[in-house]
Amino acid sequence: MAEVTLVEAINRAMARAMAEDPNVLVLGEDVGRDGGVFRATDGLLARFGAERVLDTPLAEAMIAGVSIGMAAQGLRPVAEIQFMGFAYATIDQMLNHAARLRTRTRGRLTCPMVLRTPCGGGIHAPEHHSESGEACFTNIPGLRVVIPSSPQRGYGLLLAAIRDPDPVLFLEPTRLYRAFREPLEDDGAALPLDRCFVLREGADITLVGWGAIIQDMLAAAEALQVDGFTAEVIDVATLAPLDAETVLASVAKTGRCVICHEAPLTGGFGAEIAARLAGEGLFSLLAPVERVTGWDTVMPLPRLEAHYIPGKDRILAAARRALQHG
Amino acid sequence: MAPSQTAPFGIPCVQYLDVDGRPLGPLPDFASDPDALRALYRGMLRTRAFDAKAVTLQRTGRLGTFASSLGQEAVAVGAAAAMQPDDVLAPSFREQGAQLWRGVTPVELLLYWAGDERGSDFSGPREDFPICVPVASHAPHAAGVALALKLRREARAVLCVLGDGATSKGDFYEALNLAGVWRLPLVVLINNNQWAISVPRAAQSAAETLAQKAIAAGIRGEQVDGNDVIAVRECVAQALTRARAGKGPTLIEALTYRLGDHTTADDARRYRDDAEVSARWPAEPVVRMRAYLTARNLWSHADEEQALEVAAAEMDQAADVCLATPPQPLSSIFDYLFAALPAPLAAQRAAALAQEASDG
Amino acid sequence: MTAEPARVFNLPDLGEGLREAEIVAWHVTEGDHVVEGQPLVSVETDKALVEIPSPRAGRVAKMLVPTHARLAVGAPLLAFTEGTEADAGAVVGELPATAARALPAAAASKTRAAPAVRALARDRGVDLSIVAGTGPAGAITRADVERARGAAAPGEPLRGVRRAMAERMSQAGAAVVPATVTEEADISAWDAAQQPMVRLVRALTAACTAEPALNAGFDAAGPRRTLNERMQLGIAVDTPDGLIVPVLRDADRLGADALGRALAALTDAALARTLAPAALRGATITLSNFGAIGGRFASLVVVPPQVAILGAGRAHEQVVRVADGFAAHRMLPLSLTFDHRAVTGGEATRFLMAVKAALERPAVADRL
Repeated sequence: MAEVTLVEAINRAMARAMAEDPNVLVLGEDVGRDGGVFRATDGLLARFGAERVLDTPLAEAMIAGVSIGMAAQGLRPVAEIQFMGFAYATIDQMLNHAARLRTRTRGRLTCPMVLRTPCGGGIHAPEHHSESGEACFTNIPGLRVVIPSSPQRGYGLLLAAIRDPDPVLFLEPTRLYRAFREPLEDDGAALPLDRCFVLREGADITLVGWGAIIQDMLAAAEALQVDGFTAEVIDVATLAPLDAETVLASVAKTGRCVICHEAPLTGGFGAEIAARLAGEGLFSLLAPVERVTGWDTVMPLPRLEAHYIPGKDRILAAARRALQHG
Repeated sequence: MAPSQTAPFGIPCVQYLDVDGRPLGPLPDFASDPDALRALYRGMLRTRAFDAKAVTLQRTGRLGTFASSLGQEAVAVGAAAAMQPDDVLAPSFREQGAQLWRGVTPVELLLYWAGDERGSDFSGPREDFPICVPVASHAPHAAGVALALKLRREARAVLCVLGDGATSKGDFYEALNLAGVWRLPLVVLINNNQWAISVPRAAQSAAETLAQKAIAAGIRGEQVDGNDVIAVRECVAQALTRARAGKGPTLIEALTYRLGDHTTADDARRYRDDAEVSARWPAEPVVRMRAYLTARNLWSHADEEQALEVAAAEMDQAADVCLATPPQPLSSIFDYLFAALPAPLAAQRAAALAQEASDG
Repeated sequence: MTAEPARVFNLPDLGEGLREAEIVAWHVTEGDHVVEGQPLVSVETDKALVEIPSPRAGRVAKMLVPTHARLAVGAPLLAFTEGTEADAGAVVGELPATAARALPAAAASKTRAAPAVRALARDRGVDLSIVAGTGPAGAITRADVERARGAAAPGEPLRGVRRAMAERMSQAGAAVVPATVTEEADISAWDAAQQPMVRLVRALTAACTAEPALNAGFDAAGPRRTLNERMQLGIAVDTPDGLIVPVLRDADRLGADALGRALAALTDAALARTLAPAALRGATITLSNFGAIGGRFASLVVVPPQVAILGAGRAHEQVVRVADGFAAHRMLPLSLTFDHRAVTGGEATRFLMAVKAALERPAVADRL
């Protein structure tokens, strides 16, 4: 079985989806001849041709809007926005139109599109290229927000997103693109949307997160094991709609929760999980809910980037604070 | 060395009837069919009757905010009459004349403005886009539909209608640019009524015409007298024909005037003179077409009376149906959000329905 | 909207001696603001259908005649409002005015206790206000609640190292088929400076060479047995938190001096809780010097995938038979528990005899 990186897994998922369904097509800036600036769409133009892999002019709102029009006509566009920092320009189209086309026409018109974009920092990139803006989109009813944390989940979730009849924003953690490999069977098997993945079982504390920080959470869980504590690690994967049941069940078992995300603290999506715990899991809590997140500042440029992005040490510190409580 | 001219341009302006309804020259071929002309005129009367009814309902608290198209009936009706049934319309929020022509029912339109989503579930033109409120944001959608038609090699085209204010927006430029460079079967019709709420055309853009924004996109641009329904019908028809034949997109600027307020919640007297509006009434499209038809003995006052009564009766009945339609169940706000309600939302739906039941 | 008495517009003279007309269609409605010249209504006379334009700009207050009704020239047709109007201040929708609502006062709480602790206290009928908290910042813990309740509640939930031990031993007990063989080594020849642990590790090294079957990994699923080349020696360390078993890497390659230092470092790290996670993994055989505390012989626990554990009891003086009578010799009890699924009694006994032989030498052989 091939061992692939996240970006290779995403490439395979798109290729498979395009091979299976002639309505699936890819569009975006530099996705065709260049194969995408991260090579996510590498080889697709050669294999599927210029009517299914479209190099668009430079206009993000247009890319999203055109996808909506195509989707309303029954095509399944998979549009790429080159970086999350440029995806904010699509909020109007995604929020005002993609997310509500089905409901506002009572099902007459629908929008089976995927908007994918690399997100997050840790790649020593210039300004605006290290954004974690998922919270700008998770409050949009009718829009799914999905973020994988591994090649296998990248493959399975992207296939699910493309096959889903409703719009999905698919965020790809840039620093995981080539970070590690996993065996992957290119068998077209999708993973479920709207469900959290429990990556590691534990009894003493629950670590919840998504995207690149999952790796740091797993490392923290290993370290906690030395202390004799077992940590349950949950990859949310689909932020919206949120599978709160899995998180609540975990905290009912452990009594402690550390929520981890790279995006800034205030109004970050971790706040939603914390609110659900306070609302529906209050009597399970042995300790205050901890959030390990980016600071409420603009993402710094590469020289200070490492101090901003929360890693294993900050997660461990928060976990140990929580574990003091019993 | 004196600079050479690389891209000189001119914008043609098409008009067939003068303000008094007299032909300025030979009329297009379709105009030799009196039934076609009467159909256009009836379409405009029907539109005006719809607007009047909707405004009355709003004033009596039975409809929400409504945007009348008073004075702009020729743009909508002429354009829709130029479309084939299987073309696709992407309107803004002031093209009810086009929607009604294409088979959207008055009940559906009233339901929409009354605040019921079922009004956008058109029984007639199933692929037409619903009313678009965020200005110009439907232009990329129209381009996307056009792209789909082109990829599937269908001999169909898309008509996107938007206002003068919309031409200032990024979405407008981005859609035009894409349509030009990808040669999409798209016609963009600017319903230029000279006002974007309180901002007059002169304050909206320094461009001498809005049609010339086509030049920047590398596509054909022309103006038409928007109050001359024959001219609108002909211009749009030619543009759609070109689009369907793969000859690329067109930007058409229809020059008209907004005789009413921006919406029923607006009071235009705050920013424009009544005298200016008074001066525009003689050029309005309905009286112009009536003048042409009556001058050719194609329309009698009995025809007029009957048409007014038929239109009024149709709109009265539509209003009755709309008002008698009970609101949707609350579950509908959940049930159409996704193809299948995601599990995480099931509890919310149940809570909402329980709340509704206890609210009584 | 405030309005003074309306100004009424009467049906104007339509000319040609016409005295009355029928309303065919109104073109405006109440509330519309109209401009001069704007068609208000279409009326029909005997002769024609006529549009009546508005005489002035203004807001329609009321259409005074219904459709299809007839009225005479000069009769009231439509009423305009007059006077200033309030600004509705909106372009879409209607803005309601709402009264401010008072916010409820926040309740004060002095007892620090997490929600799960409060739930437990409720469950147990414990009044938190009289419980002393031993958690951070004086917070009340579950243990505090249980203590306050008295002796009734037995025990406490296991956490951390104790919990790990409970789980590990349960798994071992469910799988392993243990058997134990014992011996005693005569360590009278040792000089005072000998470190027992160093001698034991070196003895194990010698025994693994003599009988590799005890330094193996066993996988019941195969079943498969893997003979390990090197000896990754688990060292049982008793800490205040419980039993920790860090692994001495490649213990068979370490000379006496290196062994001494490595064992000290490992023990210190275990007690200080600074071990890395990897330090607990991968033991191929384990040594428990429980004799440092006390005890003689023991049946110990083999933790899969290992197949053996050697236990050393407390050294003691014993009278033994010597050539010309009896003498007091220093004896070190040895217990070897092995997994009989993978190891034979013969292998185990030979291994143990090799350990005994190595220990009975006066000094450790430093040859690796």
